[in-house]
Amino acid sequence: MTQKTTETTRFTFRTLALLLIPIILLAGVISLFLSTGGGLNLESPVPVEALTIERYILKDELIEIYVQNTSLQEITIAQAIINSAVCPIEVTPDATIPRLGRAVVRINYPWNYGEAYAITLFTSNAIPFNLEIPVAFATSEPNSQSFWSFALIGLYVGVIPVFLGIFWFPALRTLGKQWMTFLMAVTAGLLVFLGLDTIAEALEQAASVPGAFQGIGIIGIGAVATFLLLDAISKRQTESGRDEAAKRLSLAFMIAIGIGIHNLGEGLAIGAAYNIGEISLGTFLVVGFIIQNITEGLGIIAPVLRDRPTLRDLALMGLIGGAPAIFGAWIGGFAPSPTLAVLFLAIGAGAIFQVVYEIAKMIQKDTVRKPMSMTVFSGLLTGMLLLWVTGLLIK
Amino acid sequence: MKNQLSRRDFLKLGALGVVGTSGVTALAQTAGKNQTRPFTPPMQGMDHGGGVIPGTGNVDHEKNGFNPGDILTDFDFGKVSTLPDGRTLREYEITVINKNIEIVPGIEYPAWTYNGRIPGPTIRCTEGDLIRITMINGSNHPHSLHFHGFHPGAMDGVPGTGPGGTVEPGDSFTYEFEAEPFGLHLYHCHVFPLARHIAKGLYGAFIIDPKGGRPPVDREMIMVMSGFDVDFDDANDFYAVNAIPFYYQNNPIKIRVGESVRIFLVNILEFDLLNSFHLHANFFQYYPTGTSLTPAEFTDTIIQGQAQRGILEFTYKFPGMYMFHAHVTEFAELGWNGMFEVTE
Repeated sequence: MTQKTTETTRFTFRTLALLLIPIILLAGVISLFLSTGGGLNLESPVPVEALTIERYILKDELIEIYVQNTSLQEITIAQAIINSAVCPIEVTPDATIPRLGRAVVRINYPWNYGEAYAITLFTSNAIPFNLEIPVAFATSEPNSQSFWSFALIGLYVGVIPVFLGIFWFPALRTLGKQWMTFLMAVTAGLLVFLGLDTIAEALEQAASVPGAFQGIGIIGIGAVATFLLLDAISKRQTESGRDEAAKRLSLAFMIAIGIGIHNLGEGLAIGAAYNIGEISLGTFLVVGFIIQNITEGLGIIAPVLRDRPTLRDLALMGLIGGAPAIFGAWIGGFAPSPTLAVLFLAIGAGAIFQVVYEIAKMIQKDTVRKPMSMTVFSGLLTGMLLLWVTGLLIK
Repeated sequence: MKNQLSRRDFLKLGALGVVGTSGVTALAQTAGKNQTRPFTPPMQGMDHGGGVIPGTGNVDHEKNGFNPGDILTDFDFGKVSTLPDGRTLREYEITVINKNIEIVPGIEYPAWTYNGRIPGPTIRCTEGDLIRITMINGSNHPHSLHFHGFHPGAMDGVPGTGPGGTVEPGDSFTYEFEAEPFGLHLYHCHVFPLARHIAKGLYGAFIIDPKGGRPPVDREMIMVMSGFDVDFDDANDFYAVNAIPFYYQNNPIKIRVGESVRIFLVNILEFDLLNSFHLHANFFQYYPTGTSLTPAEFTDTIIQGQAQRGILEFTYKFPGMYMFHAHVTEFAELGWNGMFEVTE
């Protein structure tokens, strides 16, 4: 784009110096402010304390609470009360936690399976922080068995349904051009629905991100950056002048990636929810996920129906779309972090909406100079309704 | 007492119900282990072998400026003199002081105190004595001394009854009245907002002995039951006798077999409706409000509402460690728990 520049600006020492002047002045202002207080006397009259309880682990006669100090100063954990009993605690590495520092509070407690516990942690300023354990059960340890269980969960909700959807490929190939446009619109509908779902999930998760990490900001950065990055990549491919079939194949791959990241988020949510007893993964729920996610496989293959993708490509797309659910379940199950979850979900949302944009361009190319047809309208609506109706099974 | 869990979702439990019994079994075994060694010395901190006992370590009594171990037997008879008419005059001076008190290890409570301690001094006199108590308000809030017992309205320490009703910061007032009726009473601040003024620590016991005294016993102790709402949500977080939770659990009260013990028990617990006292492996004679020399009840558990009080008398037959605590068991595990260590 910048082959012809009329004037070459040279980067001289003078420019550098001019650029540095405000920075040097800023450093001066900061050091002056730090050393004198700048005449301000606005220290907070009371300590505002914030403690994020990240997660808890229940072991035999032991409750471990993972906390992070998200306040502006250090805080000290002084006492713990479980169900109206003062319980001795051990805090590692130290009961005094620096800003943004982490600690583990260990409480020897004869908790019972299936009962509920209300825990209050008191800081030395007598600020209470509450944790509710709605149903107590031993937290699954990262051992080979639970590792395998979470892999199976990911397999059921991600890989299997996506591949099942891909198996529609031979049948759908025989359809006419208008039906293919319809299917593309269905895919776009599916993706719009998934994208909204992902954003909603990200916003929900953002609420539990420690304030200092600005959950909403992470959503913005993750989604916008992913969208623009994928857009730049797809533009470069367009410019590289490859044939239409190759472009359609790369679009299919991008859909697979978008859906894959979405499934990663889904795996994260399932793994984390399973660990704190929020859901029991009954057969009904798994069946529901399979039915809902089978449509995702359909979406992946829609752009390449008129081409002849190799079996290897199809298998790869299935894996990209489905397998992240396994990784998600592992991360969510063994090392849940709301901050990380928000980032993944935001990336997923950015990817999904970029793919929707790509599909829209492709549909437009196929239906040149026609107003949005009923085919596109009904396809898009069908896609969204498909997920809404199948969602009834798992919500 | 806090609101407990809002709701338990039993539906979620359905599929997982089988494993439950093993947890219960484990707990039963733990309890059994405890029973086999009843003579364990003071329960303190975590006991990794024999299960968990609620409690805390010791606070910094020196920094607090008072020790429940001393308060237990600290009766203040005042500066005694004889009036021209032959009556006994007892003079006291009580200063209201704002003071941070370490209630449980690591948590300092911004208390209001009479003479820097909670409970305030245990004022003890005999029926018919003239009592003269000067209250100096060294804090930054208006306070008062309101005694239970007979006295003129102007000595009632309640806003609206004259200068003694509200003593402003820096001011002082001398309450004067004849001590009657005999019994176990109490005093506390009566300035609005009352619940907060009491909960912050402004209370103490007031004992009027009958002329000629109560029948002699070997040991006399004062126990004032109260609680602390450290996060100011109008619900107690910790409970105690003589202010420091778990003190007598960590430092058992030593008595001897056959020794007659008299406990002056006062309840000034704010926010909760009831408090109670239960003595293990023993029964006591109970004299409600101490206004009679004939016991009203022979029991091992009594209940007191706020400002109710009574005298307990008992003797231990066997040596051993004996618990005494609120049989509102929630309070016990939040601090109102103690031990008698009875030796031959």
